[in-house]
Amino acid sequence: MNRNNFLIHIALAVVLVLVAAFAGQLRRWQKEYKTRVRIIPAEEKTRRATTTAEVSEIEARTLTVPEVLVKFKPGVSESTIRSITAKFNDRVEDSIESVRGLEAIDDLDNADAVQTAAAYLALPEVEYAEPNYEISIEDLESNPVRPSDPRFTDQWALANDGQRGGTQGADISAMAAWSVTTGDDDIVIAVLDSGVDYTHSDLQNNIWQRPANVPKYVDDAAGTIQDLQGYNAITNDADPMDENGHGTHCAGIIGAEGGNDIGITGVNWKVRIMPLKFMNAGGFGTTKDAIEAINYVIDRKNKGVNVRVISASWGSTNRSQALEDVIKKAYEAGILFVAAAGNASTDNDRRPHYPSNYDVGNVISVAALDRNDQLASFSNWGAKHVAIAAPGAEILSTWLGDEYEEKSGTSMATPFVAGVAALIAANEPRISVDELRKRVVTSVDKLDSLKSKVASGGRINAAKALGAQ
Amino acid sequence: MLAARGNNGRWLVVCSFGSLSNNQNMSYSKEDALSKARNDLAKRLGVKEQDVREGSVEETDFPDTSLGAGSDDEMSGQMITRGWRIKLQANNRTYEYRADRNQVRLYDFKGKNFLL
Repeated sequence: MNRNNFLIHIALAVVLVLVAAFAGQLRRWQKEYKTRVRIIPAEEKTRRATTTAEVSEIEARTLTVPEVLVKFKPGVSESTIRSITAKFNDRVEDSIESVRGLEAIDDLDNADAVQTAAAYLALPEVEYAEPNYEISIEDLESNPVRPSDPRFTDQWALANDGQRGGTQGADISAMAAWSVTTGDDDIVIAVLDSGVDYTHSDLQNNIWQRPANVPKYVDDAAGTIQDLQGYNAITNDADPMDENGHGTHCAGIIGAEGGNDIGITGVNWKVRIMPLKFMNAGGFGTTKDAIEAINYVIDRKNKGVNVRVISASWGSTNRSQALEDVIKKAYEAGILFVAAAGNASTDNDRRPHYPSNYDVGNVISVAALDRNDQLASFSNWGAKHVAIAAPGAEILSTWLGDEYEEKSGTSMATPFVAGVAALIAANEPRISVDELRKRVVTSVDKLDSLKSKVASGGRINAAKALGAQ
Repeated sequence: MLAARGNNGRWLVVCSFGSLSNNQNMSYSKEDALSKARNDLAKRLGVKEQDVREGSVEETDFPDTSLGAGSDDEMSGQMITRGWRIKLQANNRTYEYRADRNQVRLYDFKGKNFLL
């Protein structure tokens, strides 16, 4: 070899070394920064991306989210991992440093993540494998819970998906609320009404029973009453069986047993309903009997029963100082009083309706909405004296004879609010009656239809009341 | 109601009024309610029942369980209640009764409502 040939050979060798070094650096840059530039193997030159679709594919490959997370067993080497992923036409997107052997793997075939994870799981080298689930803000805040009750789909007030011409979302957000709590049988809610059919299959497990350590009720006139499950103020005895249906309907809205594969669910899947009967088979009663029934509730509270709410789906335009005074006593005993605003389509600020209009700190007056978030045609309103609105038109609930019926009225709206109050109490047992009232009336979805109609301007939102939204 | 003749020759009549609950044991059909209403109006006006003519009987919704015709000191369930609006005519005037299977009421008679 002459000198010139030698120098040429040296130069060529240097150039080859430099080219190889440069190529290696390019690969590292590509891997680290996911650039579009890649060294194209010679055999692929004929297949270089020339169309927009092919460019998009290359971009997608380099910018894709890994489909599966795979934990390889201790002792499995990095080269083995890469060999395995290459066989599946996958690549290791990232290694999780804090968990040795945990790899985020990108499936270049874009196959189903569940199937890909299953394929890895079948390998002896793999400890576990799972899809890389997408987490949304909604998931972080709540996990909507759906009850198994077969007629839940008819309960638009709890979950409105637009059924029967309704508006999707025009409901009390019950499913999101239930991710926090579905109620508690430590909470007692008094249904002051025509009584309750306590034998109804969807109510019987949620009816309050007087605990053994609570003494029997003593009435000045009637003496000792063997009150096992509530009180009848009409006959002054212990049987609050509903002969009308109204009270049973309201009770079902509050607490028809949830998740029992029967009928419907109440706002509370689990709760203790205390039946109080002061309205007769005709559905009406006297002020005096209403007072006696409230008196019973206060007495039970003072004897240790955890009564947190009275649901009062009744009223008239007659004002009674005596009734107001006993509601004040209930307030002093820490009991919320939720009352129907009335169905005369009138302004309660001009034409008062009682007991909803009493200016007592524990009273919440409730107007009714239809399934399109409009004030129900029959509902009273009042920018000052009506606090909040809730679903109250075409409401399915429990009825006499182990049946179910659809009814309308501010009577129906009231127990939704009372039920939400019970959910709050179940979640926060120590909440005071003042805080409870405030939480209820401030946990609303503001609606244009309720502007200047109710004080809160909105529809009760159970999820907001529980901090789930 | 109990009637007895006293020593002075005068009759003593004792009336016992049942509770609201006792009055509501009957279940009314439309015809029952119409019949009761005609009978009631005839007595109130002091006329013969055949002089009370049926104006109209229509099925309708009332705003509450007292059929929108609550009496003094009466509280009613705030639930839309289906019933019958019965219009009767007597002495050249029209009178309105309201009824459902549980009750019959006279609406706005001389400014007041009455549960029959």
